[in-house]
Amino acid sequence: MSEDIHALSGAYAVDALDDVERARFERHLAGCPACRAEVDGLVAAASELSVLTEAAPPASLRAKVLAEIATVRPLPPLTAPQAESGDDAVTSAPPAPSQPAAEAAPAESHGDQGRHADELSERRRSRSARGLARGWRVVVAAATVAVLAIGGFTVWRQIDKDPSRALADQVLAAPDATRYGARLAGGATATIVRSTSLQKAVIVTSGMAQPPTGKVFQLWLQDATGHMTSAGLMPGGGDQVVVLSGDASHSKGAGITVEPAGGSDQPTTNPIAFVAFA
Amino acid sequence: MSRFSVVPSGDESPEGATRPVPLEQLLRRAATGDETAFAELYDAVSSRLFGLVRRVVRDPAQAEEVTQEVFLEIWRHSARFDPSKGAALSWMLTIAHRKAVDRVRSAEASRNRDEGYGASNQDVTHDSTAEAVVERLDAERVHRALETLTPVQRQALELAYLSGYTHTEVATMLDLPLGTAKTRIRDGLIRLRDTLGVTL
Repeated sequence: MSEDIHALSGAYAVDALDDVERARFERHLAGCPACRAEVDGLVAAASELSVLTEAAPPASLRAKVLAEIATVRPLPPLTAPQAESGDDAVTSAPPAPSQPAAEAAPAESHGDQGRHADELSERRRSRSARGLARGWRVVVAAATVAVLAIGGFTVWRQIDKDPSRALADQVLAAPDATRYGARLAGGATATIVRSTSLQKAVIVTSGMAQPPTGKVFQLWLQDATGHMTSAGLMPGGGDQVVVLSGDASHSKGAGITVEPAGGSDQPTTNPIAFVAFA
Repeated sequence: MSRFSVVPSGDESPEGATRPVPLEQLLRRAATGDETAFAELYDAVSSRLFGLVRRVVRDPAQAEEVTQEVFLEIWRHSARFDPSKGAALSWMLTIAHRKAVDRVRSAEASRNRDEGYGASNQDVTHDSTAEAVVERLDAERVHRALETLTPVQRQALELAYLSGYTHTEVATMLDLPLGTAKTRIRDGLIRLRDTLGVTL
């Protein structure tokens, strides 16, 4: 499968992968300097095509943009990696040869990606809160978070340091992997990929907001009787690839709920997403 | 950007005949909160970004909305731009493209975007003749490079990049065996990169 995955570099460079493929490829990228260098070059080549589509925006856009940025503080630059990020599996990835600052970028990305997602979703939440009866919702941070993965700043998607990372990759690449998608409010997506032969399910999310303060996202597997069993907590919102704990081979569906910190034994809220394995 | 310096700018320009400030430098200044630098950046790249977004999104009102989000994102992340990984313009276009693609995919069902690729190519609406000449030369160069691709590579690349389809959708549209569209896209991009002499 690994030979196959290199071939996704072009489609990745032009955003022509679906969420699951993109998640797989970015996990691959984290450990493949050759692909990273290739992606940089292909991204640059693709952007040349934009001379063919040039068109001046309406004049009013300029004022809107300048008024909006005046109210927002630019993010601080990336700084040297922190010592504790050394426990992140991603630091074992060799630095990209094409990138002098490579040690800094991937090493700190684990936390940094989360920080982007936090800041952005917080901002978006506060922006959208006025129009919302609910205290939280899933918003689109997809573009924001995922775009960090290519271009001038490379921020690798969060990668689990535990063996579940390898397991997730196996499930995503399994011959019998079956996808079940759910579209969430605001354009965010959650895709459950299940491999019956591996007895495991993986959730791939794109663009989820962070859970509200003091709350967590909890994953569930539903059995044939409709009973929900906890399948673990999600580390946060944003773009995630998480293995559901437990045997998913006989499950009838999977869901996500918002629960108090630490999680619950049983769902205490309606699922924000539920997919039936049918 | 050579394209902004090939032809001396007109004397009505506030900068007179001085060379335009490189985009990388404008980004660096923007990162410190310099709104004037960002305005200059906007003027330099808004046609490229908006044009690409509109090509992918099609709907002019949505294209405007997405472009505004793109500029906000560029402003916010200006300090995170890493010149060692590519040019500033390419970085900004990447942000714009990804946002545009996300927008069309999340609103897929409600829009018809099957018009031909050639239809929106003549949208350059700049009034400066000198700038238009440079743009035309740039466009010709890219057109010529595209001609070195095989027809399938070119179609696959255009459907993916300019129309925002996934490689799987592209395979279906071009009646290619499953899994080969990604190879065509990659081969096409490699050819384009080599023909244009793209360097990072």
